[in-house]
Amino acid sequence: MSHPATAISSVKLAWALSWAAFWTGFPFKMIVALLLLAAQIHPWEGAGLIALLALSVPIDIWALGLTARTFFLERMGIEVRGPAGIGLWWQGAVLGVVTLGLAYYAVGATAAVCQKAAAATLEVVNKVIPIPVAEQITIELLMWAVPTTIVAIILLLVWLKLFGWRIKRFAVASGQTSSAGLQERVRAWDGWRVPADPILMLVSFTAVAVLLTVAFWVLLPVTTTHRHPDYPPPPTDAGKKKVKPEELLKKTDTALAKAEAVLELLEKEQAKEKKKKPAGTGH
Amino acid sequence: MASVQPKIKSKVQCVDGEIGEIVHVIADPISLEVSHIVVRANGTQRQVPVATIAAVRADSVELLCNAAQVSGFPEHKPEDFLTSKQVEIPHLENRVHVEPGDLLVPFPVLEKSCARRNFFAGFIHVIGALIGLPLVWPVLRFITAPMYAPYDNRWIKIGNVSKIKTEDVGVQFIFKKSFKDSVLQREEDKNHWVVKATPETLKKVYTHGDISFTDEKGEVVWVNKQTVPYVAFAGKCPHLGCGFKWRSHKTRGQVFLCPCHLSIYDAAGTVLDGPAPRPLDILPIKVSATGEIQIIDVEYKAGKKEQVRIA
Amino acid sequence: MMPLLQKVYDFVDERIDLKTLEAKMMKEPIKGGSRWAYVFGSVLLFIFVMQAVTGLLLMFYYIPSADHAYASTQFIIHEVDYGWFILSYHFWGSSAMVVMVFAHMSQVFLWGAYKSPREMIWLVGLALFGIVMAFGFTGYLLPWDQRAYWATTVGVEIMDKTPIVGDFMARFLKGGPTPGQMTLSRFFVIHVMVLPGALMGLAGLHLFFFRSAGPAGPFRGTPEELKAKTDFFFPRQVWKDIVAMAAVFLTISSLALIEPVVLLEEAKPDPGDYHPEPEWYFLFLFQLLRWKIFGGEFGQFLGAIAIPGAFMLLLAALPFIDRGPERNIFKRPIALLSWAVVMIGILVLTVSAIINREFLD
Repeated sequence: MSHPATAISSVKLAWALSWAAFWTGFPFKMIVALLLLAAQIHPWEGAGLIALLALSVPIDIWALGLTARTFFLERMGIEVRGPAGIGLWWQGAVLGVVTLGLAYYAVGATAAVCQKAAAATLEVVNKVIPIPVAEQITIELLMWAVPTTIVAIILLLVWLKLFGWRIKRFAVASGQTSSAGLQERVRAWDGWRVPADPILMLVSFTAVAVLLTVAFWVLLPVTTTHRHPDYPPPPTDAGKKKVKPEELLKKTDTALAKAEAVLELLEKEQAKEKKKKPAGTGH
Repeated sequence: MASVQPKIKSKVQCVDGEIGEIVHVIADPISLEVSHIVVRANGTQRQVPVATIAAVRADSVELLCNAAQVSGFPEHKPEDFLTSKQVEIPHLENRVHVEPGDLLVPFPVLEKSCARRNFFAGFIHVIGALIGLPLVWPVLRFITAPMYAPYDNRWIKIGNVSKIKTEDVGVQFIFKKSFKDSVLQREEDKNHWVVKATPETLKKVYTHGDISFTDEKGEVVWVNKQTVPYVAFAGKCPHLGCGFKWRSHKTRGQVFLCPCHLSIYDAAGTVLDGPAPRPLDILPIKVSATGEIQIIDVEYKAGKKEQVRIA
Repeated sequence: MMPLLQKVYDFVDERIDLKTLEAKMMKEPIKGGSRWAYVFGSVLLFIFVMQAVTGLLLMFYYIPSADHAYASTQFIIHEVDYGWFILSYHFWGSSAMVVMVFAHMSQVFLWGAYKSPREMIWLVGLALFGIVMAFGFTGYLLPWDQRAYWATTVGVEIMDKTPIVGDFMARFLKGGPTPGQMTLSRFFVIHVMVLPGALMGLAGLHLFFFRSAGPAGPFRGTPEELKAKTDFFFPRQVWKDIVAMAAVFLTISSLALIEPVVLLEEAKPDPGDYHPEPEWYFLFLFQLLRWKIFGGEFGQFLGAIAIPGAFMLLLAALPFIDRGPERNIFKRPIALLSWAVVMIGILVLTVSAIINREFLD
């Protein structure tokens, strides 16, 4: 009797698992991305990208493990012993990196070649039948986009086939067939979604989410980071010198007092001069 | 209408005689047809598939099998079923009529676990509460942004001291204040009162020393000193914000009189009579060498004993 | 706490039969079980609520006058705390709504859930689709910058091409022969009062029809498989709906942070260097109208009114034309092919419109 794992096609198997695992991990990755963005770090380049990819690894491993177990049990009646996520993930990742590298060149080359061919073809055609701009754009787009998409899809199918084949081997090696009926198997995988201690899970989930929300509030800029050129930011107070009115008044007071004192002195001297003069008349 | 409509309490006839009655009817939620009847016979309840029914009469049902075969059918388990009133299956009750009594439908196996149900219900409430949460703080700040706007500490020219001919007499200065109201540039007519104070009046005004004015951070913006013989009073009565006037009073002579609730103040702004909780509010004042009066249009909350600056 | 809640529940239940209401609203068995594919309708409702909330907040500061619409929108962006975030959320939320409408319609189409007895749900759904597009069109004008003003002007001019009622419709929307304050006031009222009311009413009707017919469920599976996976609407489907809502909320917030709203310069009667363009979800139609066969008065009518109109009529007639009971998309090749052609066509034309921008200078 053939193993239930062999009944399904590799591509379908890999697709079912990858699609489900991607969307399972998506909300968690979005939380990471949103926090990075609030801190004004771009998650698609530099340190942000590295952080996102690094955090995606455990998320993807968990998601893939959960999805694989469910699929194996429900569709193939296989129970997996031990962790499924790690075992499958690294195989998918290695194959993915290789295929992605291949795709970068293959898809890039196809696009470049087809774009050149399309441009050249249209130039020739234009000389015979002039094609208006809008139609030309669409025709040219189709001429290079269709072959490029086909190449990309082929490479995706290659990855799926290879990954699917590895998944099958994994299922055969580490799983054992379950004799339970469909209802029992469905109930089993559905039941895994309920944690052993639901209250603990809910409370800790809430606590983490609240903490992350507060972090979001702290990081989120109050004013826009993309200012319109006609609306420059207001001058900061740090540039202006602070006017201290009390000091100002004190200064004025002391200046006045000084001036008064000088005036008094001058008046005294004048008076002395006046006194001296009559006494000193006649030499 | 569904094809087979056995009624509850109908008598059940096998080929070899009557064996009992129908106690329940079970419908299939997908096909919306009767799938089984539950027959009470010999003290047990047996689930008999509808294919076994030969004919349905007004108050009895005929089966194709004999009594012994009925005992071979599985026993009815009530915990595996719900009544059609406990779930929402569209059109079921239109199609199948089994009165008197309730139609049964299978209880979905996945829904039997209370732990599962409670966990997901709890999770729904948690996520529901958390979806809005990230917006709470930004929305609060968004709505309250203009409510605590910083004070306007601009110096405004309101007139010249040459308008004041006599000492200890209130002289009204009406001026246009232009300001930015959200995106609109607006102008309002405002009025304040300036008194050229005699030394006694000045003493009264400055009994507690120099008068300082602070901004919202608590830093001093200006200090009024006794050296300046002019005192500017804000044109709004500190009781409830009405505009007051300098008038002759029957018994008290020349005073500031508020027509709304008859608060009376003297030239130093002290409360002589009326419901005013505090003296007239004094404004920061600057008088230039040419006699130009400048004030800062400070506003305080009306009706309070202490001065709480609001603008 | 729990006994108190139970007491409150029993109090209300005695008076309005809460238990039956609960059963009817929540204990709806979904054959084949709750599915992530079914979340799009609920997600649309969620996005609408978020748009209503953010829209309401924007109305605290927005001034719908031609003199101040631009300044007040810039005020929200630059001077109100987190105003840029609320406005950007509202902007990206509207794009998300259009994407989800396409997703929801596609899901219903591919699952054959428009077929008998669900024709009325489909028709009301098409009306809702029109309302969502109208929301996007009317809201776009409100900031009153060059992009807003000119996208609206071109759009209304296109509507003018409708035979018989076109001129009336265009004048009604513009509030006169040319766009101005009347246009802004009318678009504001339509966007803020008329369309929300219409959407809420029709969405209620849509849900009522849906509940009367029951969910169509998966298009393949033996009765045994369907029964084994059956679960109730609450909690499992509601849980999936709410997780999808959370994911959409996170996505819209992220987009608001990546690309906050930046206005162009204030609307002027002369477009100057600016090339008028509608919102991205109208770009495919905009590009189509650039084709030579749609030039001239008849051509414009054909491309702007006749063909889109005929397509919408085809969609409306769909449940009455397609009477075959088969719902498995892989066994409905014409349906699958048509859906693919339409989606790819829209995608290709949208990308063409973006490429075309370079050729305009």
